[in-house]
Amino acid sequence: MNIRPSPRRVAVALALAAFALIGSASHAQEKVIRVGVLMPISGPASYFGVQGKQGIELALEQVNAGAGPAGYKLQVQYEDSACSPLQATNTVKRVLEQFKPHIVIGEECSDASLAIAPILEQAKVPLLNAGSSAVKLTESGYKYVFRIFPTADQQGTMLGRNAFEKLGARTAVLLYEKTNAGVDNADTFEKVFTAAGGKVLARIDFGRDVNDFTPIATRIAALGKVDVLPTFGLEGQTVRLAQALAQARVVRGGGGTAIQLGSIWLPWGFEQKAGPASEGYIRVVQFDPTEKRKMVTDFNAAFRAKFGAAETPTHINAHAYDSILLVAEAVRRGATDSESLRDRFSKMQGVEVTTGRISFDAKGQTSDLSVIHFVETQKDLSWKGMAW
Amino acid sequence: MSDLATLLVQQSINGVYLGCLYVMVALGLTLIYGVMNQINFAHADFVTVGAFTAFFVATRFATKVLGLGDAAAYLVSIFIALGAGAVLGLLVNAVVFAPLRERGDELRPLIATIGISVLLENGQLALFGPIPFQFDSPFAKETIRLGRVFFTGQSVLVVVASMLAIGALYAFMKFTFTGKALRAVSQDRETAGLMGINPDFLIGLTIVIASAMAGMAGALIGPVLVLTPFAGATVIVKAFAIVIIGGFGNMEGTILAGILVGIIEAFTVQYLGSGLIDLVVFVLLLVMLVVRPTGLIAERREENV
Repeated sequence: MNIRPSPRRVAVALALAAFALIGSASHAQEKVIRVGVLMPISGPASYFGVQGKQGIELALEQVNAGAGPAGYKLQVQYEDSACSPLQATNTVKRVLEQFKPHIVIGEECSDASLAIAPILEQAKVPLLNAGSSAVKLTESGYKYVFRIFPTADQQGTMLGRNAFEKLGARTAVLLYEKTNAGVDNADTFEKVFTAAGGKVLARIDFGRDVNDFTPIATRIAALGKVDVLPTFGLEGQTVRLAQALAQARVVRGGGGTAIQLGSIWLPWGFEQKAGPASEGYIRVVQFDPTEKRKMVTDFNAAFRAKFGAAETPTHINAHAYDSILLVAEAVRRGATDSESLRDRFSKMQGVEVTTGRISFDAKGQTSDLSVIHFVETQKDLSWKGMAW
Repeated sequence: MSDLATLLVQQSINGVYLGCLYVMVALGLTLIYGVMNQINFAHADFVTVGAFTAFFVATRFATKVLGLGDAAAYLVSIFIALGAGAVLGLLVNAVVFAPLRERGDELRPLIATIGISVLLENGQLALFGPIPFQFDSPFAKETIRLGRVFFTGQSVLVVVASMLAIGALYAFMKFTFTGKALRAVSQDRETAGLMGINPDFLIGLTIVIASAMAGMAGALIGPVLVLTPFAGATVIVKAFAIVIIGGFGNMEGTILAGILVGIIEAFTVQYLGSGLIDLVVFVLLLVMLVVRPTGLIAERREENV
């Protein structure tokens, strides 16, 4: 059968061919580094995603200004991984298939990060993590995983040692959510604290569906004198927990004597939410918006200019911002694809960002602990830096 | 009082408070099942709507527009949340359930509740965003101490409000003509219709009452929840368990099961560990299903002929 193309068909075919040619030409000219961002945008950990996006948007404006780093533009695609291993796994597979990122930033929650790490390792796409503390993430032999967040080991060791030596604590009750990160933080604290001579009176874990913490506070009150309460949970639950402990007169904020200790999980503003119950709370922070370092004051000013004069950036904003700065720095150092990004990251030493200086060790973990500060919540809910 | 006695009393108080919160959520579920033989998967979201309504009324409208004090504003917010739940129930019944009932299909209304749940969750996500709201009740700041035992003003409010709501619902069902008619519909819809009762009106009324209770539950439980558009989901699984343990559709059983689960939870935290709460509650549920599938208090139901 002889099929003669109609003039209309020919015109459509020519138009499509022209579009394809224009598309490929512009692709060839445009130098782009594709960054997949996996963050919890829904669910109880969604505050990570919302604040993370703010930090990324601000950083992108700055690094993509003008010609961009080494003539490249960073192109970002956000995805909701919901702090869930299952959703994060499905999402990262889809992103790899459709967006074909050169690098992935995320996730915040350790369980989700642990789930996507092997997939990215297999795809040979670097993962830059800024919010998970589970030790296994950088202790599993992955070559494409880099983390700028102190591990549970790093945070827990300092918390445990300082609780014993600086606070003179001898008894502790561990409070932690039932996740990889929660367990890792509690385990590390217990190991260091008991090795120094302290005693753990109880380990109390809780699921993310626990709403009322009064029974837990009652149990702790019945344990007798407790010196410190290392607490590892998301902000919403930790606020309720602190309030219940104050009502049971366990912690200083409620007229008790025990001191709650916390990790970097809690963002700036936690004290205002928990109210007087948070008085005396001592916690690790990686980003201090009151720091006078130029990098920090510039970041604060840019953040306020973009999001409102009354806004103060949190460590979540800062971590996300820093992640983009590090990708841009790797590109400036010659990275053009996943493999060269991995190579530049592995050689980074002492790169200054808002949360301190980043030096990756052989496992991809930042090893510079100058980024860690300790702060104590005062009666007026402000922070007092601890000279530890 | 000895240390042990103090502890037992304190955890019992904690358990009753927790149980009352669960009962407030579970009653609406059991009411709908009792009358309609239908499970409402959107119930958690009705609770969340109530919590958000109460939050915005208590922290914005009643304090800033009406100029009320914090305590009065919160109390007003409970009634407005109850009303918001009722209006939502009315709308959902008119737009979704009533047309589906007319088609006589039992499966579609069930699936529709899942659709309503997704719609409400995502609608609230679009409106309020995902960052948790800090909803503090002024009554939660008042700690009442009797010797070494303590409870908050919020606990008292929750227990009193639960008792009043339960009492009002019970009186309505047992002593009013409409309540008796509603029970008749739950036992045999066709025969009740032959007696001059309008089953459609009463089914609609059931949805409105159950939704109003969910709204009120949201206002009471809001200051305990981490308030996000998904907040209700953290209590609904436990509420379903309570409805099953109490006996599907049985109000007295639900009340008893709710308080029992609350007390069991408090003592599980004390003696076994809070990480085992779900394990203990759901083992209890399985035991009930095996040993006494009709629930704690079995209700005699005649099969429709």
